Amino acid sequence: MDDLEFRRRAFANPHDQDPEFLAAAAASPERSRVLSQLQVLDERVSKAARSVPVPKDLAARLKAREVPAHKPEKTSMRRYFAVAASLIVAIGLILSPGLITARPSAADMKFHDDVIGHVYREIARYSPGLDDISLNQINSVLEETGGHLRDDDQIKQMHFKFANGCSIAQNSKGAHIVLDGSRGAVSVIVVHNSPVTTKFDVNDSRFAGKIIPFGEGNLIIVGEKDEPLDVYENMIESAFEWSR
Amino acid sequence: MSETPVLDDRQKQQRYESLVDALYQDVYRYAYWLCKNGALAEDLVQETFLRAWRSLDSLQNDKAAKAWLFTILRRENARLYERYRPDLVDIEDQSLMDSVDNEPDQRMDRKLLHDAIASLEKDYREPLLLQVIGGFSGKEIAEILDLNNNTVMTRLFRARGKLKHVFFPDGDPDAGLDEPPDE
Repeated sequence: MDDLEFRRRAFANPHDQDPEFLAAAAASPERSRVLSQLQVLDERVSKAARSVPVPKDLAARLKAREVPAHKPEKTSMRRYFAVAASLIVAIGLILSPGLITARPSAADMKFHDDVIGHVYREIARYSPGLDDISLNQINSVLEETGGHLRDDDQIKQMHFKFANGCSIAQNSKGAHIVLDGSRGAVSVIVVHNSPVTTKFDVNDSRFAGKIIPFGEGNLIIVGEKDEPLDVYENMIESAFEWSR
Repeated sequence: MSETPVLDDRQKQQRYESLVDALYQDVYRYAYWLCKNGALAEDLVQETFLRAWRSLDSLQNDKAAKAWLFTILRRENARLYERYRPDLVDIEDQSLMDSVDNEPDQRMDRKLLHDAIASLEKDYREPLLLQVIGGFSGKEIAEILDLNNNTVMTRLFRARGKLKHVFFPDGDPDAGLDEPPDE
């Protein structure tokens, strides 16, 4: 085994137990030195990589097959309520076939994925601790989409943190507003055209939300799972006006 | 009605719990290094084990469970997180400060190592961590990463070359990096 091959194997696996490799290492003091240095390094790397503390209750949560979420853990009672609620919805749907809305199309699902991707990309820009912004600042961004928020009582109580133009919808300027929710940041996105014509839910492992046909455009609301999104939906729907 | 399904469910749960006990720590640590963030790693591990539960029947041999779980983990990371989250987030210092070392020197050493591992390009970091955390052979790593064996060997070679350069900058100038084998 030549030096190059020896080095290649030593760097790839300093603990290689193949007799041919071990003989090659023993054949020269320099090779032994390099190998022993790599083994020391490997010990340290292995120890460092394994020193990451593992959450204490993780095994129990895995065994209970809990659904991941960035929020306080679900209690078993809440799980029963969730099951009960699902049953009620299921029974309701069976008894009322006329109420079943059209399924989202492939284009709708692509827009759904675009929305989730957009929220993940933007999230670094509105980290906790930002100062509130004024309604005027929000409306100067919303103006680009052709709408504005009226200064009503509910809006006054909200803590808006971020407002910026947003290119989530093609061929239409959008506005991305972020406010403090009860579980974290809540994104409110308004676009002037209508990429989707059917209301449907947004979901991934972390976020929940909805995409809503909204006058001349769409209203999109996304927050951490468990955020009471209806509150923000009602608030925006009552305070928002298209101006053109 | 036959009692067999109940028994099957119980057996499935027992098998699943054995897998959790044996492997959750390694799976979590690998997840942590993949996404460099404790909360995301936790979500990722939960997703991974949920998937594993759903398709547990497809796992023929429990000896293959570790490679199977790591493969699911990588796929879930790509599906749920990677596409939305560029590899930007720095490793969390807090978790390092929570680690087992009490001596400041040891902590500093570990911090340096953490930074060095975290700053490796993903192509080099992944096979190295599969080797040192997962204990996988080159062939197993090649299967998990869907690469050929030579490419894995080259990436491991380069990963250690980079780390060695950080920790022994003067120790071995001809560390072999001048002549990297082709992938």
